Amino acid sequence: MVIKKLLAALTGILIGAGLLWGTALGAGAVRIGYLQSDLHQLAVFVALEKGFFLEEGVDVTIGGIFKAGPEEMTAFASGGLDVGYVGEAPAVVAVGNKAADVKIVGQANLEGSAIVVRKGSGIKTVKNLVGKTVAVPGYAQVQDFLLRKALAQNNIPAKSVNVIILRPPEMIPALESKQVDAFVAWEPYPAKAVSSQIGEVLLYSGKIWPNHPCCVVVAEAAYLKDNPKVIKGFLRAHVKATRFIQENPEEAVKLGVKFTGMDAETVKIGMGNIAYRYKIDRKGLLEYVNFLRTMGVIKVSDPEGFVQELVDESGLGEGPS
Amino acid sequence: MKVDSGRVPPERSFMRKPTTGLLLLSAALVIWQLFSWTGVLPLRKIPSPVQVVSALYMLTFQGLPPEYLLHGHVLASLVRVFGGFFFAAVTAIPLGILMGWNRPLRIVVTPFVEILRPIPPLAWIPIAILWFGIGIKSAAFIIFLGVFFPILLNTVSGVLSADVRLIEAAKVLGAKPPQILLKVLTQGALPSVFTGVRIGLGVGWMTLVAAEFTGVKNGYGLGYLIMIARDIQRADAIVAGMIVIGLVGYSIDGVVKRLERRLLEWM
Repeated sequence: MVIKKLLAALTGILIGAGLLWGTALGAGAVRIGYLQSDLHQLAVFVALEKGFFLEEGVDVTIGGIFKAGPEEMTAFASGGLDVGYVGEAPAVVAVGNKAADVKIVGQANLEGSAIVVRKGSGIKTVKNLVGKTVAVPGYAQVQDFLLRKALAQNNIPAKSVNVIILRPPEMIPALESKQVDAFVAWEPYPAKAVSSQIGEVLLYSGKIWPNHPCCVVVAEAAYLKDNPKVIKGFLRAHVKATRFIQENPEEAVKLGVKFTGMDAETVKIGMGNIAYRYKIDRKGLLEYVNFLRTMGVIKVSDPEGFVQELVDESGLGEGPS
Repeated sequence: MKVDSGRVPPERSFMRKPTTGLLLLSAALVIWQLFSWTGVLPLRKIPSPVQVVSALYMLTFQGLPPEYLLHGHVLASLVRVFGGFFFAAVTAIPLGILMGWNRPLRIVVTPFVEILRPIPPLAWIPIAILWFGIGIKSAAFIIFLGVFFPILLNTVSGVLSADVRLIEAAKVLGAKPPQILLKVLTQGALPSVFTGVRIGLGVGWMTLVAAEFTGVKNGYGLGYLIMIARDIQRADAIVAGMIVIGLVGYSIDGVVKRLERRLLEWM
């Protein structure tokens, strides 16, 4: 009898735990991922806050908030996410190395990064970076690419700069305590370094590569195939949010403050460096693919075919970008 | 309280018979490879042994990032671990002997030890970066924390477990307290200290990898290597790095065991 009661109790607990687990996972909802405080991805926060996803009939749940793109792509590989906002480079790397199977279904932004140096460091040009320590958020991702491009434009071999990896939230303290002489990061970290009087911008990424694509919206390939309507709805909300940011800068700043936890001045400076766009830039994407190939990070024999395969624009409506 | 030195008699340890161990390992590798070929283990989730071996080759001769070769990563990690270990050993062993010897000191220090000990070294990472910045100092500090407590506790219990008859005999023979401390207690505690050293080095080695995840300055380190491999989504290189970590940890333990056997032969 005791054993029976115990068994019954145990079963009850297990079922209860299972139900809780199911609720916590938000069964049926689209599991989305994005980067912590990444102002490039403000559209996702705007859509969440303004209820655009619900308006378009899409039920979303947060599958994960990440410190850097590669971590988010690992979450896709493990089957933990359906849709995500992520940098173009980590997405290309993950697909190129067959770690995760995703399609790029929309653009999130262009430009929006900067090389920041410590105030009073005496670094006035890219050439002054020789022999210095520069932090990037990850190996072979967007900001690493931008730094390498800037160095190449100035005929500086990449090896003459000591590049280290730090996650962006740790960059400003590292800059202040002279652990690094410069960093390359997405907004609002450059803006924050400027507004807190610790750093100054050496070069905006738009000066390194005008109109360069940066963050994209990706969908898990199998999920996209099975749920094209859900992705369409998701993208309608994304387009709505992107337009909202373009048309209501003041309210967008307020939402940016809520998203990043940073002050309005910082968010305003940061947003000034970002172009919010939803049309996919294939030419820019091809440039990432070629860069990652020459770095030896991915092995792709046909870059154009790879891009063709990677992009799925069918979910985006017509209209101006 | 008697703490066993953790030494396994040679005839009881099957790993002492290299053939048995190697056979089992190769069998496991063959099964793993078969599972990969047949798709039971999807390559997207876990690379095959062949892929891992080719990744090891890549890490050894091409390096990751390119030109940062594997031996450099191993060396950098060893320097960090032994740096932290050195400071932990030179502080924990004397403190442990004094605590075992002196009851009031033990009563005063124990509560602090008991509160600090359960805090995972990784929880100290943000503080370590704040105090020591990024680089060898903070990594060594994290490792210090992992190594310190096992050595301290084992030293204390080693001193406490010293044979009372030996102490009495020493007293009868006219030994002064400092002599008893040095000759009887310290030497009697040695096997236990070695156990602490082995556990401590093991914990330190495990902690190291995570400590390096927070960033290193010179671009070298096994934990850092794994982070880079993750950045470029190369599971084969990640697993290869893990295997190197396991092998190095195993070798460190083997060296300490050998040292222990040689040094404690007289006991």
